[in-house]
Amino acid sequence: MKLEKIIKDLNLRIISAGSDDIEIINGNIGDLLSEVMRTAKPDSVWITYQTHQNIIAVAEVVGIKAIIIPYGLHYSEDTAEKACEHGIYLLESDESAFAVSGKLYGLIS
Amino acid sequence: MQNDVEKLVEMLSKVFSNTKIKEIMTRPPIVVTQETKIKYVKDIMRIKGISGMPVIAPGFKLVGIISIEDIIRVFENGSFDDRVNKWMTPDPVYLKEDEMLLHFLQVNEDLKYGRYPVVNNDHKVVGVVTKLDILSWMFKKLGYIYVHDERREKALNKKYMSTITGELLDKEGVDFSYKIDYDSVEMIGAAATRLKKFLKEKKIQEDIIRKISIATYEAEANVVIHSSSTGNVYCWIKQDHIKVLIEDFGKGIEDLEQAMKEGFTTAPDNIKEKGFGAGMGLPNMKRFSDRMTIVSSIGKGVKVEILYYIKEK
Repeated sequence: MKLEKIIKDLNLRIISAGSDDIEIINGNIGDLLSEVMRTAKPDSVWITYQTHQNIIAVAEVVGIKAIIIPYGLHYSEDTAEKACEHGIYLLESDESAFAVSGKLYGLIS
Repeated sequence: MQNDVEKLVEMLSKVFSNTKIKEIMTRPPIVVTQETKIKYVKDIMRIKGISGMPVIAPGFKLVGIISIEDIIRVFENGSFDDRVNKWMTPDPVYLKEDEMLLHFLQVNEDLKYGRYPVVNNDHKVVGVVTKLDILSWMFKKLGYIYVHDERREKALNKKYMSTITGELLDKEGVDFSYKIDYDSVEMIGAAATRLKKFLKEKKIQEDIIRKISIATYEAEANVVIHSSSTGNVYCWIKQDHIKVLIEDFGKGIEDLEQAMKEGFTTAPDNIKEKGFGAGMGLPNMKRFSDRMTIVSSIGKGVKVEILYYIKEK
């Protein structure tokens, strides 16, 4: 599944973009960083409530290509900066984590 | 033999003399009341494999001690239906839980009893301490202090001996090194992502890079969150394996066994809010490595060594 299509279908706002033409094959949900590192697969999308800049390093080491935060949350400025540096997509949704994950699962699997 | 043990205890104890009695004692203590019949005391001693017990009044107040010698006296002159208060030694010598090991040694030098009840400030019996307790505790301590000191010497000579393969790793001949000199959690990942970039440049297999990055991230997080010191990340790339060493010079890990358990954490709340401190750090390091060893000593730091085998493609 192309990340581009996910962004379009889920109506996500792009806060920070990485390279074009990214293929997503999996997803993960979690706020405990170690848990995410334990369970997330490479080439994943990650739904989380964490917005601080460490999520970028976590995404980078695991191979997560895009991070989605649910409605009402915003990434901090330095998170966006770090994301640019590492080419990780930062996305915001207007829906709940539950709704986002449901739609995402339908798209990817 | 007995004399040798005594000498050893005396010699080594000096090193650890500022340790509190409560750190060494056996607890909870096995106790009996004054009203207990001697025949039951005898059974408890046999079943529990002990040679003496504190005798208590209601509220765990220490009133005496009864030992195997007393049982022998009952055997010779009394009845097993007698009660403890008839045969116990009243007002025994005891130690307080906050007293130092040195105090025990001084007391023991004069008295040479086999065991001493330990009481808290309310005079409640909270433990029992024997020479065996001290000896086994000390051997445990000595074990890792020795290991640490040997490592330290090697490290000072710019060399580090692998705990896994036993080879000497030259810190000057290291392929990658990075100093963890930041203490803000926001910076966590700087070393891990830098190492990942380096390994990519070296054209290491993707799946190995991923494992190394995750394990290094966890080790780096531990240095920043827990060590209260700086640290270093080193990486050596060899023909058939890659080795990563993450060291710090901080507090050390108090209970390694506990720290290895999934879910165990000592991270403060403000750090947990950020998603750290899930108690998965060490388990994750182990999970994302082919071999891992940790050497730790209280107050001297932690060294985590992780090894990855490069398989033929």
